Amino acid sequence: MTAVTDQDHTDEMDHADHTGHADDGRDADAKDERSENSPPVEDAEETGDLEDADDHARVSADADPSGRTESKASADPTDPEESTGSWDDGLIARRVNETTAAQQAAAVENRASRAHAAYTAHAAQAAHVPAPLAYDGPLRSRLDALRELVGLSRTRLDSGTLAEAGRVLDEAAARRRLSGQHTVVAIAGATGSGKSQLFNALAGVAISETGVRRPTTAAPIACSWSDGAATLIDRLGIPGRLRRRPLQSAEMEAQLRGLVLVDLPDHDSAAVAHREQVDRVLALVDAVIWVVDPEKYADAIIHERYLRPMAGHAEVMFVVLNQIDRLPGEAADQVLDDLRRLLDEDGIALGEYGEPGATVLSLSALTGDGIPELREVLGQFVADRGAAARRISADVDAAAWRLRPVYATGRRTGLSEEARDEFAARLADSVGATAAGEAAERAWLRNANRACGTPWLRLWRWYNDRREPATGRLSIRAQADEEATARQRVEQAVRTVADRASGGLPAPWAQAVREAAVRGAQGLPEALDELAARAGLPVGRPPRPGWWPAAVLAQASMTILQVVGGLWLLGQIIGFMAPNLGVPVLLMVAGIIGGPLVEWSCRLAARGPARRYGHDAERRLREAAAGCGRARVLDPLAAELLRYREVREQYARVTGAGVGGG
Amino acid sequence: MLQNSPKIGHSSHVVTLDVRPQLLDALSALRDRVAAARFPLPLAGAPRARANRDELLAQLDDYLVPRLKEPEAPLLAVVGGSTGAGKSTLVNSLVGRRVSEAGVLRPTTRTPVLVCHPEDHHWFSGMRVLPDLTRVWVPHQDPGDELLLPGEDGMRVLRIETADTLPRGIALLDAPDIDSLVADNRVLAAELICAADIWVMVTTAARYADAVPWHLLRTAKEHNATLVTVLDRVPHQVVSEVSRQYGALLAKAGLGDVPRFTVPELPESAWGGGLLPASAVATLRSWLVQQAQDPGARHESMARTAYGVLDSLKSRMPELASAAAAQYAAALRLTAAVDGAYDSEHARVRGRLQAGAVLAGDALKRWRAFPLDCSAGELLDALAESLAALLLCSVTAADERVDDAWRREPAAGAPELTDRDPSLESAEHRIGMAVRRWRRELEEYAEEEVADLDRSIAPDPEVVAALVATALLGGRRARSAGEGLAERIGAHGALRLRDRAGRLLNDHLDRVVHTERERRLAPLDALEVHPEPQAELIAALSVLQKER
Repeated sequence: MTAVTDQDHTDEMDHADHTGHADDGRDADAKDERSENSPPVEDAEETGDLEDADDHARVSADADPSGRTESKASADPTDPEESTGSWDDGLIARRVNETTAAQQAAAVENRASRAHAAYTAHAAQAAHVPAPLAYDGPLRSRLDALRELVGLSRTRLDSGTLAEAGRVLDEAAARRRLSGQHTVVAIAGATGSGKSQLFNALAGVAISETGVRRPTTAAPIACSWSDGAATLIDRLGIPGRLRRRPLQSAEMEAQLRGLVLVDLPDHDSAAVAHREQVDRVLALVDAVIWVVDPEKYADAIIHERYLRPMAGHAEVMFVVLNQIDRLPGEAADQVLDDLRRLLDEDGIALGEYGEPGATVLSLSALTGDGIPELREVLGQFVADRGAAARRISADVDAAAWRLRPVYATGRRTGLSEEARDEFAARLADSVGATAAGEAAERAWLRNANRACGTPWLRLWRWYNDRREPATGRLSIRAQADEEATARQRVEQAVRTVADRASGGLPAPWAQAVREAAVRGAQGLPEALDELAARAGLPVGRPPRPGWWPAAVLAQASMTILQVVGGLWLLGQIIGFMAPNLGVPVLLMVAGIIGGPLVEWSCRLAARGPARRYGHDAERRLREAAAGCGRARVLDPLAAELLRYREVREQYARVTGAGVGGG
Repeated sequence: MLQNSPKIGHSSHVVTLDVRPQLLDALSALRDRVAAARFPLPLAGAPRARANRDELLAQLDDYLVPRLKEPEAPLLAVVGGSTGAGKSTLVNSLVGRRVSEAGVLRPTTRTPVLVCHPEDHHWFSGMRVLPDLTRVWVPHQDPGDELLLPGEDGMRVLRIETADTLPRGIALLDAPDIDSLVADNRVLAAELICAADIWVMVTTAARYADAVPWHLLRTAKEHNATLVTVLDRVPHQVVSEVSRQYGALLAKAGLGDVPRFTVPELPESAWGGGLLPASAVATLRSWLVQQAQDPGARHESMARTAYGVLDSLKSRMPELASAAAAQYAAALRLTAAVDGAYDSEHARVRGRLQAGAVLAGDALKRWRAFPLDCSAGELLDALAESLAALLLCSVTAADERVDDAWRREPAAGAPELTDRDPSLESAEHRIGMAVRRWRRELEEYAEEEVADLDRSIAPDPEVVAALVATALLGGRRARSAGEGLAERIGAHGALRLRDRAGRLLNDHLDRVVHTERERRLAPLDALEVHPEPQAELIAALSVLQKER
């Protein structure tokens, strides 16, 4: 991110402690860490103008013209020239910042810019008008994705499921409007663990009442180390009479500047109202110091009710073992180790060896042992200014994890080609495509046989037809096509394809897919009826192959041969003609044998075209049915699946994975 | 050591513990009824009912039945409390020897330890009380007892120690934490406390306002058990104030008359796992000894707890019974959903049959081509296939309706009901079988009819079968099939054949729907949720009431 106000004055203060060496190694390290916490971002649409200005300002010194953000550049500790080179730019950038870009994200100010006059002026200004918090790019895009996800899901999921996500969004937006310079840290713990004692020890004065009466503290008390936190404390619902200031001491103030400490009531006493208050405030603060004591550190309630569900918030969590003065010698270490083990079992990452995670300390608020260490860790933590964003990020994680069952199942989704084909086949069955094709083939063959058959055979068949009762044929013409489609098959086909499509989807989306299928299936049987009537029968006369006239001619000539041969013989018998038995008998025999021969060969030859004709009829019906099914059912299904995939991708963005896995 | 209220708050009348055999019989009958109660459906109250049942059963087995059978057995005082309250230290100090592990790491006591006088040992070594716990005997001063802890095998163990310092007639039991991180420990602690004649609740200066121990105190009050509270680990400076506060809280909860002892926090005891000086626990010890040795006090504290448990049955049994009733009601609702879905689908499929829905699609095309371009066999095939499709469709539709209805029922979430494998294929298979059987029988009927015919040219039986099937399944659309049939085998024969075939079809249809419905209900039936447990529980309770 570009140069910002948020970070600079602590940085300055940091610096004031050491001397003003620009390439101080420790400082550079610290910077490196910080910039890791807020990596460079591309989508700075809100701050585009600022970035522009910044770029212009530093274009002479910046070796990288690609518009990379400054935090990246200035965080590079290996390039001291870079940081010293932008001495002036930082100042300018900061001025720009003060006036225009109040919402800039917390990032590392170029620490080379340290004109003391500018610093003091700026610090004074910043103290009065605290800059609101801003989230870095990844977190912002995750929040956007979550917002979009909630919007997309509203019609599919009930509001109860989305309530938590909505709350996180609201809190993120609310926190964002408030000061980004302050870090709100709550002190929570069981009754009698010494929360108020620790609170007082950190503040340096006895602000919160301590005592042996249990429970002692009944309402949260806030203590702010610098001005401008009023709105933040308002948000916690802490009334003015319960707001305090710490002991005025320059050193301490410098260390903990920006800290707002909140002392909470207990969460485990018989007073249920206390627990409600704790739960309410814990949802709003940036970080939590959990105070446990040797007696209560293994209580089920703190682990099961708070630490385990908040395991994702480890980075904004301190766990403090108080009252070590009650433990003899090495027992304190033993207990601390046991506490670490329990936290580990709770799934809380422990911030040891520089890894991000919860900080575990042991101290005694009574004797003051370990308090300076805690103060130092807290000071560093508060100076980082990252707690609020990290808390929101952890909230988003938790909300995303809770929403996981309604968005991800880890199984493959989508409608396979196979399922589509099966659906088309079932629809074709429902309109009777196979039977229609076969019937058409046989009818064609029958007609061909009749056309090419010997007249005598036709005569006989005609006679037979008159004798036989014609069962089926009467009904064909008598009734129009009414419910020609098998309803049950259509219903079953739709149900099967919807089941296939919804397989692997989380329940609400599977339900939506099924509903889409049912909606699409309304009117489908009627459409198929209509379509079967239109597409079922090929229009016009059935096509005839080219050899057909020749075959008819040959059959006719065979008949003529028979007739001629017969007449000739008759003429001889009557004596009308000269007796010549051979030729007419030959003619007749040729005709008598040739007729069936022609008929038989025609039948063989007609088989191919008949099959083609039948297939054609079947295919037409099949395609029409499949087309109808696709338009009415498969397309809505695919659209619904696409919507799910879109949501799934949003969800993946929310989880930060970036790509939508299974 | 302070004893704030040396007088035990007794009920005004003197309770006596006379046990008749009839009472024991009634009690064991009641115990069997409780043991038989099951709550398999995941209703809102089911986990609670299950826990109540287990708890009640444990209390009957562990405490009430053995106590009523043998009133002369030693009193059992169970020391319970939160983690880190110093229960083990207290027990050790009372005994005067380290019998139970104490330490700074929580939870310390993972294995309950029972301490008794050597001569009382036989009362506890058997399975008279706490029959669920395996007894282990560890020679004392053996640091290796960690090895004998209940390991991963999940076996629950009770360690028994003997000590001469304890008077005869009383045994101390050091229970695990009631708010332990280990859930099993919590359950075990509750179970052990329920088995006590005297409940010794230990809390500390830092804990006396914790919610969890107060739940336990309220339970003790509800059960009217003999209760003692110990305020442990009180720093010297605040003894009077904390003690006063605690007393006020107890009084507010209606437990003001409970004997209350205060033990100060001493540096040598708390974290070293050592023993408190005898003076620190002297009053508690003498109170316990008095309970054991004074027959009157002994009888009274015993009877008070026993009758408390008996009285508590009055509210606990109806609770169980109502949970059982809720289970049955839920099962009825689930069954009704299945019945409703299958009934309406059955009606629908009948209607569709009458309307001739089977003669559609393939079958209709075949019928139109019959007899010129289609054989009787093909027509029959098509009809059978279409009929199977209709049946399968209605069965799956019914299943879908059941799923829909069950989705709204929390009780349908039982794993036994949801883990039903999607047996659509097998339904298809079963329906196919049924339809094939129907077709075969239909053909037999047709053959019989044709054989009876005294005509010179008998019609083909297959054609007759196809025609009768068409006439039956085709509704209005297949009127001509009926005419054709009458032409072939005569009007009378056609009518008879149609009637028989129609009855056959109805039989098969009913059987198919019935089979599928039974299959759907089978997992629910397997859960065996019956109406009887409710009545039996109440009946057992009233018998017990009468015997008291």
